[in-house]
Amino acid sequence: MPLSRRTERRGGGTAIEDQIVRITSRLVAPFIQVYGIYVILHGHLSPGGSFSGGAIFGASLVLVALSFNLETGAKQISHQLASGLESGGAFGFILTGLIAIAIGGNFLANRAAGFPMGQAGELFSAGAILIITVFVGIKVASTIVTLFYTIIEGEE
Amino acid sequence: MIYFLAVIIFIILTLFLRFVIGIEPRTIVIFYLLGLIIFFFSFTVAEMPAFGSPDNPTFNEVPQRYLESGVSETGAVNIVSSVIIDYRAFDTLGEATVLFVAIAAVIATIKAH
Repeated sequence: MPLSRRTERRGGGTAIEDQIVRITSRLVAPFIQVYGIYVILHGHLSPGGSFSGGAIFGASLVLVALSFNLETGAKQISHQLASGLESGGAFGFILTGLIAIAIGGNFLANRAAGFPMGQAGELFSAGAILIITVFVGIKVASTIVTLFYTIIEGEE
Repeated sequence: MIYFLAVIIFIILTLFLRFVIGIEPRTIVIFYLLGLIIFFFSFTVAEMPAFGSPDNPTFNEVPQRYLESGVSETGAVNIVSSVIIDYRAFDTLGEATVLFVAIAAVIATIKAH
């Protein structure tokens, strides 16, 4: 069996079925995703944050969809779920700001609104910063995935 | 004296470009205008304050406040994160909106045809 061969794809273009690329990306993708989650969750502690962590996480999903095919990529995260998560991330950001108003404070206030601050330097600290970082990270990751799927499926 | 020499060099350069190499007069004028723009931009860059100098106008009370009371006010050890998500959270909301509008524009453009 040859290591790599070209196959016809639905859109008319050809995809390279390469065993080396497939096995390598399947091995590497979980580590990239864990690293992306780490960068998002430690946004208030170390360099990085929501935008860079979301980009890392989205890039791993795009890597799997590129090295296999769109069906395998859609098993990880479907196009509809990515679109929903993208809107949900922006909605959660605004909702966090509105919760700050509801519990007494300005829009997007953190300490003044009374979010639990915790001990500075620990993972679960900094109140609204961690919540907003997670929401923006979800939004950026699903934005990259949605953009990828939209451009790839746009050929049909 | 040096200005006189410069003018002479420019005239010789122009005649050389026009008649020896054979460049169009319009192209030579564009060349000289671009050179003038680069000349003035270089002066602008040279007038800027030195990078990282302690008496720059950017070192005022605002970054001092962030550095001194950022941890106690926001609870975040990362000062950059405390600025973009706590002090300037509204700006980050606008940034997320820009991402949202960008992908909406891409979907509208690609799905339209």
